[in-house]
Amino acid sequence: MTKKLFSMPFIFFILCGTVIPLGVIALYGLTDREGVFTFENILAIANGDHAKALGLSLLLAFISTVVCFLLAFPLALVLKDSKLGKKGFMVFVFILPMWMNFLLRTMAWQVLLERNGIINTALTAIGLPQLSIINTSVAVVLGMVYDYLPFMILPIYNALIKIDSSVIEAAYDLGASKAIVLRKILIPLSIPGIVSGVTMVFVPSLTTFAISNMLGGGKVNLIGNIIEQEFTASSNWNLGSGLSLVMMIFIVISMAFIEKFDRNGEGNLL
Amino acid sequence: MGQHPAEFLKMSMALIELFDLSKSYDGELVLDEFQLSIKENEFITLLGPSGCGKTTTLRIVGGFTTPDTGKVIFEGKDITDLAPNKRQINTVFQKYALFPHMNVAENIAFGLKISGKTQSYINDKIKYALKLVNLSGYEKRDPMSLSGGQQQRIAIARAIVNEPKMLLLDEPLGALDLKMRQDMQYELIRLKNELGITFLYVTHDQEEALTMSDKVVVMNQGYIQQMGTPEEIYNEPENAFVADFIGDSNILDGIMMEDRVVKICDHIFPCIDEGFGVKKPVDVVIRPEDIIIGKPGAGIMNGTVTSNVFIGVHYEMCIEAGGFEWLAQNTVSYPVGRQVSIDVLPENIQIMNKPQSEDEEAISLDD
Amino acid sequence: MKKLGRILYLALIVLFLYLPIGTLMALSFNSGKSMSAWQGFSVKWYQEMFHSQEIMEALGNTLTIALWASVIATVVGVLACIGLNAMSEKKRSFFMGVNNIPLLNADIVTGISIMMSFLLFGISLSYGTVLFAHITFCIPYVILSVMPKFKQLENITYEAAMDLGATPVYAFFKVVLPDIMPGIVSGFLLSFTMSVDDFVITHFTRGAGINTLSTLIYSQVKIGVRPTLYALSTLLFVTVLVVLLAVNILSSDAGKRRRKAGADGDYYVKQKRGITPKGAMALVVAMLLVVFGLNQYAGSMVGPQDQGKLYVYCFGDYIDPDLIDQFEEETGYEVVMDYFDTNEEMYPVIKNHTASYDVICASDYMIDRMRNEELLEPIDVRYIPNLENLQDNVKGFIEEFDPGMKYSVPHTWGTYGIIYNTTMIDEEIDSWAQLWDKKYDGQIIMPNSIREAYVVAGRLLGYSINTTDERELAEMTQKLIQQKPLVYSFANDNARDLMIGDAAALAVITSGDVLYAQEENENLEYVVPKEGTEVWTDCWAIPKRVENKEAALAWIDFMLRGDIARINFEYLTYAIPNKEIADLTAGEVLNPSDEILANCETLKNLGSAGDDLYSKYWKQYKGK
Repeated sequence: MTKKLFSMPFIFFILCGTVIPLGVIALYGLTDREGVFTFENILAIANGDHAKALGLSLLLAFISTVVCFLLAFPLALVLKDSKLGKKGFMVFVFILPMWMNFLLRTMAWQVLLERNGIINTALTAIGLPQLSIINTSVAVVLGMVYDYLPFMILPIYNALIKIDSSVIEAAYDLGASKAIVLRKILIPLSIPGIVSGVTMVFVPSLTTFAISNMLGGGKVNLIGNIIEQEFTASSNWNLGSGLSLVMMIFIVISMAFIEKFDRNGEGNLL
Repeated sequence: MGQHPAEFLKMSMALIELFDLSKSYDGELVLDEFQLSIKENEFITLLGPSGCGKTTTLRIVGGFTTPDTGKVIFEGKDITDLAPNKRQINTVFQKYALFPHMNVAENIAFGLKISGKTQSYINDKIKYALKLVNLSGYEKRDPMSLSGGQQQRIAIARAIVNEPKMLLLDEPLGALDLKMRQDMQYELIRLKNELGITFLYVTHDQEEALTMSDKVVVMNQGYIQQMGTPEEIYNEPENAFVADFIGDSNILDGIMMEDRVVKICDHIFPCIDEGFGVKKPVDVVIRPEDIIIGKPGAGIMNGTVTSNVFIGVHYEMCIEAGGFEWLAQNTVSYPVGRQVSIDVLPENIQIMNKPQSEDEEAISLDD
Repeated sequence: MKKLGRILYLALIVLFLYLPIGTLMALSFNSGKSMSAWQGFSVKWYQEMFHSQEIMEALGNTLTIALWASVIATVVGVLACIGLNAMSEKKRSFFMGVNNIPLLNADIVTGISIMMSFLLFGISLSYGTVLFAHITFCIPYVILSVMPKFKQLENITYEAAMDLGATPVYAFFKVVLPDIMPGIVSGFLLSFTMSVDDFVITHFTRGAGINTLSTLIYSQVKIGVRPTLYALSTLLFVTVLVVLLAVNILSSDAGKRRRKAGADGDYYVKQKRGITPKGAMALVVAMLLVVFGLNQYAGSMVGPQDQGKLYVYCFGDYIDPDLIDQFEEETGYEVVMDYFDTNEEMYPVIKNHTASYDVICASDYMIDRMRNEELLEPIDVRYIPNLENLQDNVKGFIEEFDPGMKYSVPHTWGTYGIIYNTTMIDEEIDSWAQLWDKKYDGQIIMPNSIREAYVVAGRLLGYSINTTDERELAEMTQKLIQQKPLVYSFANDNARDLMIGDAAALAVITSGDVLYAQEENENLEYVVPKEGTEVWTDCWAIPKRVENKEAALAWIDFMLRGDIARINFEYLTYAIPNKEIADLTAGEVLNPSDEILANCETLKNLGSAGDDLYSKYWKQYKGK
């Protein structure tokens, strides 16, 4: 069949843009500067500073994912239940910030949280103590939540509106209270959206270096910062590649998750 | 609202009583001062075209929609604002609405678990319900892997295990094929007899309504057009809408010359209706199977066969006579072009008043 | 009550989402640079933004890259869907799995891996490499949007069309395409959005002078407060808002019509909110207009091989932008500026030839290193007649890292010291040790680069700032870790703006930033601690494999001209070692006495082993 040939450009891009680069990163990750095969760059993740940064990254990514979920799920529920005419507009309101460059959004928090920024000026003006979270992990988590929240809202909302309203009515009909409907129907049936939202928040949070640089004041050292530093400041590409390969493990895990819960791609962004 | 003592008495006998229900969406009235009372153990069907308000009525009874005005009285108590999960009423939904993430047994157990039944009671009930719907052994199956008919039966099982006083069925057979639909109709009747609960059934399929119901409520545009047993509805439609909606009919303009005489297409037909007045325009309904086809000159009118189709047990023919195309059914075939006569027995001629008010005008013969 | 709770909840999230954006919008009209005080209404930041060639170029690049990437990705993606559907189930699911990788992969891994592949195969980074990377990560979005539409598509209509005599191509365009159109549109828009928003992948794959908005913002934010960026944010937000509102209104009209037509008494109507092809067209046309409107600025996007262009790689905000125009006017070269934050960021770019630059600016120790590694072209002084303007007291320091001044020509020089706010500090500051004083908890800004941090610790402990003794390094690191809890922030260039904004009491800062800071905040004082410090010199140099050496030499000579140095000094306020402007640079801060200079060192190149050592301890320090 000649139709198969139509996928040639796609295969070209997959080969040159995904497969070969992954091979190259493996090549660098498994060799030292002299090109000798070694596992050292991979094992380096166990080294105290790297492990610590990875641990902190995992913790912050976990916290921001949980916070995003706790904010997004009720929001998606409210949006789902809101009246017909307003629905499109409301969803629009909540995902509009996504269209603004994420660095500008992060910068905005820098401006807000700075020691003499708007929030602190306002707090001082009304006689409250200052909020000193800039340059701490808290600010980094805040930035992650702010930047990635729409990526949690959208898939969950999309999963929720796909739930047939008669299924929910059936549950009420069979005597379920609101709490039971939430626990037994809404949450289980929006799992594909939740999984996709969790992945879309967790992976970028885990590997970010821009947010931690901008809101962490250089004090919050994440694994992303270390990898970026190996490629820029320290220029040890082999070590950077090795650490990146370790990060791939988390990507494989999330792929497995998606495969398990979202076979039909129900939790897609749009 | 004040209640007349007689009404109160009637209410106390009924399982559920709907008073003056009105509901509109976006300014469009879908239910207009709807009144209905349903006795215990009745199989009652709301029949009508889509948009007639039948599903809205069902949803009000189920508690999914609140009426703008009016009351729902269940066993003497006002339940108009009661949440659906607090009603002793269960629903079988149009698209089954099975929980896709639970297996068959979990689906059926859902309501029982909520009401805190013991596990052994639940297990017994599941077995019993599955047996009742002829799906024993299906406990562990994924509902989405079952056929439409099987899913529908699971949905029924899921509703009846809760022993509701009343079961609401919203076009439950709509998605099934003909054979399956017929099987399920008998199944539903059997279930109703075995369980002894009240069924409120919604459909747009007149055959379904006539086959299963004790009482049929024909609705259009938020009004009840006619209420009665299937026989009454079929044989004595009260207006042209009902006649047109129920079965195939010849609906003709006629003039009531005097009692028991009606003029149709300039021919005089004897009939059995009285009290319509003299020289009064009326609607006349004649069922196609009631038209007697004979040799030219043998009947009241002569005509020509213009089409002939075999549709199973009998032939369906169109006969051009007196400027009207009559639909007739007969086990004997008359080829196209044949000259024939037509005749109708007086008791098979159904005379109805022409709609008078503008409102009635609006609802008549609406396609 | 419940409804009130819902509304409150929505309102809080809306506040959370829009407060930062609103703040930026308000500040964009503030006439001052303050982050909190209103200093009067002004549109000067907008004017500045529209006059900033950098911003306009970045905007143009962002939009053209996004447009090309999403168009190409859409075509490739749709073709791929046709091809994949003709394949066996097994093959198809394999390709779909691979297709998912860029979606799920961390951007940093994708970016790095693509960058390394390019360099491994000898392709230098450019506009094209960014575009390639963007196409790569956009294709999966298109396929994921289009594939489900193909699945819904009834093959029978296609076959019916063929049965009626249509050719396969005709049948595809007339029957298949209209059905999958919504998927194509959403895939395209998703790609466009993702491409515009991308930072990380662009960051790693971009070539010389190629900035998108993301990379530009990232480098500018590192330098300090940029009200032009607030103006840019506002402009972007308003544009997106208007376009999306228009699309929304267009598609909701269509939605209403559909709802009316399908009206059913029971009102089970689920309104399908989607972007109609018409809305999408409006969006694309709007984007195109913007792109073509900016076309005049986007001339530089073609790549570094063009004739007559000079690619300059230099520290951020190191040259008066007017001088760039003046240079272009005088010489006819077109200058493409690109910025970095630290020497370490610049080095791998030059070393790996990630991008081709004609002239770079680098600090002393980096010049030493690059010279040793033969990354630099010797500078022919015959082409630099203005070299005679060079101030004499810097020449001694140059000898230390570039004997004979063969490879570099100084641009600026200065010392490292402490800037402090006299309103927050009662005592006299004269020692690095005071940065360890617990009473300044949360009031100290330390440098965010490796060598500078060890200058502070090294001089304090009395070690050379070029030591490679592990014991000394470990001790310095311990000393730094001890101080870490007191540190407010690690900052390089933006330390200046933080001090101006009273965010901290003490900062390690370069002498060059002092005059500007004092102008903005009169309470700031600068001191070179008594333990001594580093004297640094930032020099111009020409990398090997240079494209336009003539232009590079002209650039260096131009910078040494007396009148140019004067203009630049007034803009920069960094000490420029030029005899012609000695009148301006007089004073302790910019021209320290010989007594102070005698107690100073310059940073030296420590070799790969030395760098790895510093990197190791730096990670230990930053990780603690």
